[in-house]
Amino acid sequence: MSELSRFQEAFSDALAGELAPLAPWIDGEGAEARFAVHRNTIARGCAEALADQFPTVRRALGAARMAAGAIAFSRQHPPASPSLMTYGAGFPDWLASFPPAADLPWLAGLARIDWARRDVLFAADRPPLGPETFAALAPAAYATTAAALHPATALLWFDDATPSLWRALQADDAPAEIELAARPEGLLLLRPGLEVAHRVLGPGAHAFLSACRAGLSLAGAGERALLAEPGLPLSQTFTDLIAAGAFACVRPAAALVP
Amino acid sequence: MPHGLTAGVSLKPQHFADALQASAPGLWFEVHAENYMAEGGPRLAGLAAVAAAFPISLHGVGLSLAADEPPDAAHLAAWARLVERFQPALVSEHLAWSQRRGVYAPDLLPFPRTGEALDRIVGNVARLQDALGRQVLVENPALYLPLKGHEMAETDFLAELVRRAACGLLVDVNNAFVSARNLGYGAEAYLDALPADAIGEIHLAGHAPDPGLGEAMLIDSHDAPVAEPVWRLYERLIARVGPRPTLIERDDKLPPFAALIAERDRAHQVLTRTPAHV
Repeated sequence: MSELSRFQEAFSDALAGELAPLAPWIDGEGAEARFAVHRNTIARGCAEALADQFPTVRRALGAARMAAGAIAFSRQHPPASPSLMTYGAGFPDWLASFPPAADLPWLAGLARIDWARRDVLFAADRPPLGPETFAALAPAAYATTAAALHPATALLWFDDATPSLWRALQADDAPAEIELAARPEGLLLLRPGLEVAHRVLGPGAHAFLSACRAGLSLAGAGERALLAEPGLPLSQTFTDLIAAGAFACVRPAAALVP
Repeated sequence: MPHGLTAGVSLKPQHFADALQASAPGLWFEVHAENYMAEGGPRLAGLAAVAAAFPISLHGVGLSLAADEPPDAAHLAAWARLVERFQPALVSEHLAWSQRRGVYAPDLLPFPRTGEALDRIVGNVARLQDALGRQVLVENPALYLPLKGHEMAETDFLAELVRRAACGLLVDVNNAFVSARNLGYGAEAYLDALPADAIGEIHLAGHAPDPGLGEAMLIDSHDAPVAEPVWRLYERLIARVGPRPTLIERDDKLPPFAALIAERDRAHQVLTRTPAHV
């Protein structure tokens, strides 16, 4: 191993644990306190990146508990890429087993939504498809045409009302008491322009968008939606999603998945 | 000076709207490249608007030029896309390492300045310049930890790097001040020894005493105005080398935009009263 490699190996070991491996290169007294500058800078860089990526988790936990969690996570899962905007994909799952969050079972769900919002924020820009395209489709074409979701969209489903909780925590006057309803909900995050919007979805709208994402025809997606939520006002739901900017283009439908 | 740049300001998204309203001769803006490696979104759109109105500089913090391995290929490719899109007036990185073996530490880490390290960095700078199709500037680091095993003074090391890799230098006067204080040498002599012709950009920033060690250990914190001793070193450097594009760097405790512009105007005054050296 080269001298540079030996040094960098020792330095990395010292960052993770004790200063001892770096002893052959230490010159002078008081190295521990000086070396701490590097440990602190790294911990702070990771914690700030995670606080940026997970603003709702930070709001729910408070700054101090968020920083403690972020630093614990970054010790176990340090960044792999110098682009810290992409750091934290594993944080939601990790939070689910973070002991100080054991009494906050909804925390990992909030983190999943924050991460999806991050994806939508930095996804490709594209003008959304307007209602004219759909208005021009002949009725028979609904059986063979699929609507592709906009590249800056994320679609999530929860067995509880985490999406409503996440939405409540976005407001400046967010509730001090966190309450989670048992009702299952979906969430659509979308950025048709420069701002990320969101809408909480019932089972029908979520099934419709899931089917669109899978490439089903519009007619097939409508059937899935009504199966999931028999009373759904399908036409109004579709019109609302078009107006929200959820679709990027139309294309031939994929073969029907049974 | 190249491109007519005098003094610029490091730019954060919070100041996009202010930047678009700004007007001052020679004004330019610098951003951290890593914060713009996205496919789309408001941050890229904001930078595009600023770049349409002002020269911009892309400054990297993660290429790990001093690592014992080549720069991360995906990161280099993301860099190349940004340079292609924004055509920056200046591109810069650090004499430091931060990533190796698939782990990135968000810091700028020191190393013993050996001939082997120099060979490695020359190769990495060449890879970077090849990938971007242009010259880059390499910045002197802020140092905290005295190390054994140096074979060359930092100024000699940088001069050799410039000569062998055909790169330029970004001289961070605050880093020079902080390192000199922390490791016990003279900042004036350090700056006097840097090769004048290679200097393509200068950084000015604030520092802070270490919370534990106090004034004996200064941190390159970028969270305060430029300190007076750093301004004096800067004026001395400009008197020696002539005017060079100069950046007011601020990354933390972000003040109102006007406060950064006021510091920038002070650097502009220094630059415009100094005749270009021929």
